Amino acid sequence: MAHVSNTRRTTSRFALGDVLAVAGLGLAAAVVIGARARRPSVRAKTVPAAPEAALAARRVRDGAAILGASVLLDSAMEHYRGRFHNAAMYLAPATAAISIAAALAEPRRERLETPLRIGHALALTVGFAGLGFHVYNVAKRPGGFSWNNLFYAAPLGAPGALVLSGLLGLASEAPTGLGRERHRDDEHWTERYGEEGRFLAAVAGASLLAETAEVWLLHFRGAFHNPAMYLPVSLPPAAAASLLAQAIAPRRGSRAFARLSLRATAVLGFAGTGFHIYGVQRNMGGWRNWHQNALAGPPTPAPISFTGLALAGLAALDLIDAAGKPNR
Amino acid sequence: MTRPVGAASHGAEVRPRAQGGRAPDVFSRDGTVAMREFRDSDAVDFAIVGTGCGGGVLAAKLAEAGFSVVALDAGPFWRPLADFASDEREQDKLYWLDERVSGGEDAIELGSNNSGRCIGGTTVHFQMVSLRFRPEWFKARTKLGYGFDWPVDWRTMWRYYAEVENACKISGPISYPWGPPRGRYPYRAHEVNAAGLVLARGAEALGVAWAPTPLCTVSAPHGKSPPCVYRGLCKIGCSTNAKQSVLIAFIPRALAAGAEMRDLAMVGRVETDGNGRATGVHYHRSGEWRFQRARNVVVSGYSIETPRLLLNSASPQHPDGLANSSGAVGRYLMVHSNHAVWGEFDEEIRWYKGPPSMACCEHWNYVDDHPTKDFFGGYSFMSQGPLPTDFATSMVTNSGVFGMDLRRRMANYNRMAGLKIVGETQPQAENRVTLADEADEFGIPRAHVAFSYCDNDKRLYRHSLTFMRRMLAAAGGRNIFETESTAHLMGGCRMGLSPDDSVTDADGRTWDVPNLFVCDGSLMPTASGVNPAMTIMANSARIADRIKALAAAGDL
Ligand SMILES: Cc1cc2nc3c(=O)[nH]c(=O)nc-3n(C[C@H](O)[C@H](O)[C@H](O)COP(=O)(O)OP(=O)(O)OC[C@H]3O[C@@H](n4cnc5c(N)ncnc54)[C@H](O)[C@@H]3O)c2cc1C
Ligand code: SF4
Repeated sequence: MAHVSNTRRTTSRFALGDVLAVAGLGLAAAVVIGARARRPSVRAKTVPAAPEAALAARRVRDGAAILGASVLLDSAMEHYRGRFHNAAMYLAPATAAISIAAALAEPRRERLETPLRIGHALALTVGFAGLGFHVYNVAKRPGGFSWNNLFYAAPLGAPGALVLSGLLGLASEAPTGLGRERHRDDEHWTERYGEEGRFLAAVAGASLLAETAEVWLLHFRGAFHNPAMYLPVSLPPAAAASLLAQAIAPRRGSRAFARLSLRATAVLGFAGTGFHIYGVQRNMGGWRNWHQNALAGPPTPAPISFTGLALAGLAALDLIDAAGKPNR
Repeated sequence: MTRPVGAASHGAEVRPRAQGGRAPDVFSRDGTVAMREFRDSDAVDFAIVGTGCGGGVLAAKLAEAGFSVVALDAGPFWRPLADFASDEREQDKLYWLDERVSGGEDAIELGSNNSGRCIGGTTVHFQMVSLRFRPEWFKARTKLGYGFDWPVDWRTMWRYYAEVENACKISGPISYPWGPPRGRYPYRAHEVNAAGLVLARGAEALGVAWAPTPLCTVSAPHGKSPPCVYRGLCKIGCSTNAKQSVLIAFIPRALAAGAEMRDLAMVGRVETDGNGRATGVHYHRSGEWRFQRARNVVVSGYSIETPRLLLNSASPQHPDGLANSSGAVGRYLMVHSNHAVWGEFDEEIRWYKGPPSMACCEHWNYVDDHPTKDFFGGYSFMSQGPLPTDFATSMVTNSGVFGMDLRRRMANYNRMAGLKIVGETQPQAENRVTLADEADEFGIPRAHVAFSYCDNDKRLYRHSLTFMRRMLAAAGGRNIFETESTAHLMGGCRMGLSPDDSVTDADGRTWDVPNLFVCDGSLMPTASGVNPAMTIMANSARIADRIKALAAAGDL
């Protein structure tokens, strides 16, 4: 009978509005900090790279930043839903903010190189740790790795997005030649871009497949009740396949299709956000009851991660293209 | 009777809402949809009495096949979004609470636990557990040595289960541990709540299978239904329309196909002519008795009202009641024993969250030979989530706790969990519905219901109590106690293979009156160890197809 007097639920310390406000501030701060470091001052020695390569690296990092933003908002909301019952749950949005800032910043040879790398590595590490936590959360429930637990326990794919954000951040260093001597008179630079582009294509392609797996699981949970739910499990894998094909054998002829499917995937990120906003509306009370339905309905910050990955994929194609151009 | 709370809902109980060519739009707070109307003098193809699993499904399918259909129900036509309150007493308005006389050695309680009274029937307040029969039960006598055989093959039923499960967008597990494969449920199972995880823990400790319960409420949006919000008020009527009751899943279909729904229309008698054929139904609506002509009459009033209506429709050609030459009308009435064990837990469970029965175990439905199995038939059991008044009432009636003791126990409400069976009872001729001497407000003789458990029934529920006690203890339950009650009704006008001992043939057509059908839970020859709604719906969907075939063959 020890519990008789204690039947009240300890309510969360903050409301969803507070959490979203803090997450929004974090996002804004990360963007401001990252953007300031984005334009290198005239005196700073920026990394020497051909304009195409610099542009491609920028695109990859923008993709990583978009992924980070998706993780920041999504994990803030989902972990709020889990009432931050474990202090480690704050790490996800915090790391995502760092990852955004690091991705937006422009690497500079003498100062920023190491801190940015640490930022990306942190995202990678925390993402993997999160994966571990989520696996544990699923495994400990009755039924273990049953469908019901895969659907409703901590989602295995979500921390994966943080991993991908860090991974892309690190991978974006390749085309800029960071950590490696590269001279404009290196006669093999175009070949290098080709290799780096293919490497990026492989990373982005695999990431798109992983993301698709997560989307498939959750849309399957929703019984694909709206035919549009099939789009994000068919378009991105097509884009991923064409990217992987470029990684294996970069043929110019099929690159147009790859580019098209990636652009479509990037647009899908926005369309998906729109669909998820509509999906929330289809819950009891719709957006009028946003503080419950934003959590119960489809996650609005999730679909945009496809845009982030598509940007990285497009950058990979740019690099491969650049490799094919005649030497200057 | 009911104490009105909302003015809107009170109006629905005294004034028919389906009239003037419009019927309530169940997906709105006050809207209407177009409804075809028939005159009393139109001899419609089908007059259907009752709009639950039997009548509602049949009305939709027959109207879609182009027949003219009038479906009458004694109860109101609700708009759940506006009319349903989150209040246990207010929602008493959903139940058939007209007085009935209950007798026998184990007189059953009648009302909220077995009969609804509104358009959509009992499904408006049912608990949405959507299970299929074990195939062998359709041949219980030949294959398992008890009860009766159904005049239907299980494979046929399997097809119709799939049809109605799809219509109701049942949310069920990817793989179901018992019975033959059943294809994928249209929607995914809901997240199992803490009360269900208690069952899961116990099952894993005892080494028996468990499953997330297939439920008749959607886990994702469907049409105008939002997904379930897990507020757990299902048993008093779902106010979000996530629950796919017949009111939500079939009545709009029926209306769209041109069927007329007549709410607040109590049918008192089926009329027959000198040839013994049905000519229509006498019904009471808006303060007067009226007569609807019909080429065929279908009685779908469930296991008490269907026999009552047939018995009250006696005529010179049918002196013992309509379709009763076998004497089987009203007999072989069955219930499910609903024995339960309850325990206190260390952790908070909050069992009212979500639909009440989110995890289930059919282990004892599929085990035939076991040293402890000393009974015929089977039982399933589910995790529980009774609403506070319901739970307090059952503790008072079962164990007599009261005052401070009751208060102390109810203070533990959030840390309790329970397991409750759906236990098969045997069909017995003496468990039956007859007409009482008293009459109701319409002057119709009240139903007299006699029920007694047989020894097999008692062995079955005792076995379940022992087993569930062990399971609840294995899951960490303390201070375990038991309650007993009954749920559901089955039989009363059973279908069969011979006019000598059954009321209808396999098509639900009465042996005695060729244009009179029965289509509801009263047709069930045996009770089974699972909740009956899906079986009744599947059987009705099948009967609808049979009627279409009979009509096509010129045999109606
Ligand atoms: C609390 C509760 C929980 C349940 N939970 C489940 C569950 O989880 N799973 C499950 O499978 N089953 C469940 N059931 C059982 C299920 O709801 C019924 O078995 C099923 O609805 C019966 O269908 P029916 O068509 O035979 O009768 P009903 O659905 O009862 O429909 C009969 C209709 O006929 C009308 N009627 C009767 N007589 C007349 C007349 N003379 N004139 C006009 N109208 C008349 C009534 O008003 C009623 O609307 C539950 C039942 C209850 C009470
Ligand atoms: S828990 Fe779901 S099905 Fe039950 S009343 Fe609430 S919304 Fe309806």
